[in-house]
Amino acid sequence: MWGNKKGMLLFFIMVISLLSACAEKEKQADGSELIHKNQFVFAASGEFKPFSYMKDDLTMSGFDIEVGEAIAKELGLKPVQKRIKFKGIVEGIKTGRADAAVASHTINPQRSKHVSFSSPYYYSGPQIFTRPDSNIKSVKDLTGKEVAVAKGSTYSDTASKYTDKIKTYDSDITALKALSSGRHDAVITDFVTGKSAAKEGFEIKGQQLINRSEQAVVLPQDNPKLLKRINEALEHLHKNGTLSRISIKYFGEDITKKPE
Amino acid sequence: MPSFLHFFQILTETKGVFIKAMLLTLELTAVSILIGIAIGLFFALLKISKVKILESISDTYVYLVRGTPLIVQIFILYFGISGIFLLPDFWAASLALALHNGAYIAEIFRGTIKSVDKGQMEAGRSLGMSKALTLRRIILPQAFRRALPPLGNQFIIGLKDSSLAAFISMNELFNVATTLGSNNFDEMTYLLIVAVYYLLLVALLTFVVNRVENNLAVSDR
Repeated sequence: MWGNKKGMLLFFIMVISLLSACAEKEKQADGSELIHKNQFVFAASGEFKPFSYMKDDLTMSGFDIEVGEAIAKELGLKPVQKRIKFKGIVEGIKTGRADAAVASHTINPQRSKHVSFSSPYYYSGPQIFTRPDSNIKSVKDLTGKEVAVAKGSTYSDTASKYTDKIKTYDSDITALKALSSGRHDAVITDFVTGKSAAKEGFEIKGQQLINRSEQAVVLPQDNPKLLKRINEALEHLHKNGTLSRISIKYFGEDITKKPE
Repeated sequence: MPSFLHFFQILTETKGVFIKAMLLTLELTAVSILIGIAIGLFFALLKISKVKILESISDTYVYLVRGTPLIVQIFILYFGISGIFLLPDFWAASLALALHNGAYIAEIFRGTIKSVDKGQMEAGRSLGMSKALTLRRIILPQAFRRALPPLGNQFIIGLKDSSLAAFISMNELFNVATTLGSNNFDEMTYLLIVAVYYLLLVALLTFVVNRVENNLAVSDR
């Protein structure tokens, strides 16, 4: 009996310490905090081609990753990738599993309550994707239709304005794959993502572009000095053409300039 | 660590949507268990048929299903065969679960059928009953009763395995919890809530299996 109680107590202590675990960070000379002194640990999902995807050696590559590496270089730090499922990234930043996320997060008020955003590093927007033979052309046609989106993306909010039949997947690519194989009526995702999936042979067609959005680096709210350093780095990368160069490499167009 | 007050507040606020998700989880589990029992019995009988080819069909099935992860099987039914024939979401998930459970249930039945004393078959035969009739009237009822404890175990595993249907966008308990959790940036609270619902379902399942077990134990008295 006594042994049993002791075991229970130990178990509860373990559970509680696991739940409340929050990584201790190292303070830098300028007041910014990093997980490791010489490293810039940045998170991405690796499931959002061509922004972030896994290469054969299981490291991530893509537009977001190269931007993250360019930022690290500007900061004079060693870039370290951290792969987290998209829906868990904001939580991961809050709990200190990465210094920042360069993962195509759209700036929106709900997220701003939990994390800080840098200045935007690219401009995009959600678009409706359907199978080529679909009658859905614009948001008005979505009423009562089944729309698939990625968990934790802002697209489910967008979709919920027009329909209440929403299906959620762990990644945008899986949602598009399901659409392409004859499931659901539409997918709402970033227009660049949809376009490159169509290029890879998915049977989908882009319809109305719903609105414009700004994508930014995500940081914890208690690290304003690091935010300032990253904003300075981004400004420099905008000016010296590094961001435009990476964008043209992946998309053939420059999506890092603010549209008129 | 979310506070208890917050936890109970969210628990009551989200009752409606979670109960709906719980019903879907129950449907998935019930359908997959029922089909799984049929599949399991079928392959167990093939295995004890003493016909070489039937035995190896059964062996291959059990090997393929036990040898691959359930999530792989779900994706194969969901995406893999969609080029030939499009299975509705619900059936992709529940058939994958049924095929999966079926392999384990086949092994449970095979074991318990073999555990029935040889003398039972001999007695049936000497009374002039055919082999099939002896199997149906004498061997299987005893085997089924012995199979109940491991079956109950398998049902509980099947219930919790149904959470993998989340990955093909079924709005069952786990998917609803992770979706709401990420929408509200409050993952841990929703995971704890979903744990409560699974505990409730497992309690219900355990109760039902125990009742059946007690009813069938009447002949022991």
